[in-house]
Amino acid sequence: MSQSSQPGEESASKRGTQDIAAGLFLLAVAASAVFHALELPLGSLRAMGPGMLPMSLAVLLGALGIGVLVIGLLQPGDPFEKWSFRGLAFVLGSIIVFALTVRLFGLIVAGPLSMIIAGMADPQTNWKHTLIFAVILTAFSILLFKVALRLPIPIINFM
Amino acid sequence: MEQLIDNLALGFGTALSLKNLALCFLGCMVGTLIGVLPGVGPIATIAMLLPITFGIDPTGALIMLAGIYYGAQYGGSTTAILVNIPGEATSVVTVLDGHQMARQGRAGVALGIAAIGSFIAGCVATVVIAALGEPLTKLAMLFGPAEYFSLMVMGLVFAVVLARGSLPKAIAMIVLGLLLSTVGTDLETGQERLTFGVAELSDGVDFAVLAMGIFGFAEIIRNLENPEARDVVRGKIGPLLPSWADFKQSIAPIARGTGLGAILGILPGNGAVLGPFASYTLEKKIAKDPSRFGRGAIEGVAGPEAANNAGAQTAFIPLLTLGIPPNAVMALMVGAMTIHGIIPGPQVVTKNPQLFWGMIASMWIGNLMLLIINLPLVGLWVRLLKVPYSLLYPAILLFCCIGIYSINNSTSDVLFTAFFGLVGYALIKFGYEPAPLLLGFVLGKLMEEKLRQALILSRGSFMTFVERPVSAGLLLVAAVMLAIALLPSIRKSRDEVFTE
Repeated sequence: MSQSSQPGEESASKRGTQDIAAGLFLLAVAASAVFHALELPLGSLRAMGPGMLPMSLAVLLGALGIGVLVIGLLQPGDPFEKWSFRGLAFVLGSIIVFALTVRLFGLIVAGPLSMIIAGMADPQTNWKHTLIFAVILTAFSILLFKVALRLPIPIINFM
Repeated sequence: MEQLIDNLALGFGTALSLKNLALCFLGCMVGTLIGVLPGVGPIATIAMLLPITFGIDPTGALIMLAGIYYGAQYGGSTTAILVNIPGEATSVVTVLDGHQMARQGRAGVALGIAAIGSFIAGCVATVVIAALGEPLTKLAMLFGPAEYFSLMVMGLVFAVVLARGSLPKAIAMIVLGLLLSTVGTDLETGQERLTFGVAELSDGVDFAVLAMGIFGFAEIIRNLENPEARDVVRGKIGPLLPSWADFKQSIAPIARGTGLGAILGILPGNGAVLGPFASYTLEKKIAKDPSRFGRGAIEGVAGPEAANNAGAQTAFIPLLTLGIPPNAVMALMVGAMTIHGIIPGPQVVTKNPQLFWGMIASMWIGNLMLLIINLPLVGLWVRLLKVPYSLLYPAILLFCCIGIYSINNSTSDVLFTAFFGLVGYALIKFGYEPAPLLLGFVLGKLMEEKLRQALILSRGSFMTFVERPVSAGLLLVAAVMLAIALLPSIRKSRDEVFTE
């Protein structure tokens, strides 16, 4: 939760490309929600149907999206920031690999594997330390979650 | 008064049992740990530890989780003072003067006054909760659906007003959160809504999954992007006990900070975050020599530290009395309570007096423990700060994965967190602040329920919200707040508060 970003650091570019992208993002979310809410009965105010709230919220979201987009087009603002695809790919990749391997092979494989993949996200990773830490931490979590807390998480599972 | 003493006696009786003492200590310890470490917040930690509480009774579980939350407030200031980066969002202001004091060789005094200020604030806040708890629950009993709905609207408006950055974007996040809360099976008709044909979504989005993805994982990716230079104070920490002169200088700021923090903390919509800012601004305004601020003024540490701790604790009041979580951490508390079959709301105090008063008493005990954990053990935390982030985040990721998996023994939950991690990262990149989204999501289900009930009672007329006096009053407050936030002059100073 520790956000220490300073807004408006490199502002005063010509257009708020960040706001333009942000508005388009909201519009896309709103459009897909409207599309899926269409099939739900709206009901009446006296007896609201399941579709009433999703539909009104989606429309409101779309309106706000247009608002943010217009602000971006008219006012100078923050530029669109570059995405770090390395962090994104390996951090999310490590979570996905954990999800796919924990049932199949158990924590003893999923633990170190996901930590190693996660390590690739940071160029400063010291591999020797990370590998040792991965083994110790997996052992520790087996002791904590399985032995001490008896959570039903698979430990060793080779089919 | 007599009843209050009886209640507190019951509370201390519960909290002082050996098991609850141990859980309280554990919570405070973990809280300090994650508070000290930048980049690990209480939201991710509590979400991660939820499954651990399955085996504990609800009172013990909540005592531990609460300890993590206010423990993190103490720990966050240690990092702020020694490393010049806030360990927690609420210790942003402490960095300004705390680190300057450390540079001048007064790190120990800064740490000491922060802990003492937090302790005093914690004690006062505990009394405030105990005193306000019962009357507010009685008030809440009188609330109908319309009043509940309006109260939550007010909470969301506060969250918008307090959010950083542009107002339309903050409102959009609230609406997106509300929209996300409608995903899943409709409670009244059993119809599936916005599930996109995914069977796992028919129960809706799990709060822990959303919070972990948007706050935990997205933050990690974000942190990896800007490698931080940790500049741990190398010199001596110096004596921990402030001198008598320091103390005399700080006592008034501590008192004012406690008051401000406690009041702001009660407000629904995460007012607690604003406490330290408000306190710092106030101290600077009334100081004889404002230029001292930013150069190691002890008042600039004492006031905000008291404010953040008081706010962290009084934030429990809306949760315990009304069943409305004012921020994301409290929302996780709701999750922890429902896991144990306790429905948060005004009935908790009558149905589970042990839980209610035990938790309050444990907060005071916890504050005492934190004083001990933080001051003499500060060397330990300094060493911990030297662990590089490149080693830390894979461990956080693994624990988060295990935690999320264990909540429902579900691998699809883990995959959903990865998805929300992506969403959270995108939101950061688009300049959206995710906190209001989470609050909207948390309040969404309850709001829809109350809205429907209110409209059934009023036969479809929205006038019910303005015809009932309490509801109208709450909406009026919300409208005034929003109007004030929209005024250009206020907007400017609001931005200043957040960038300072």
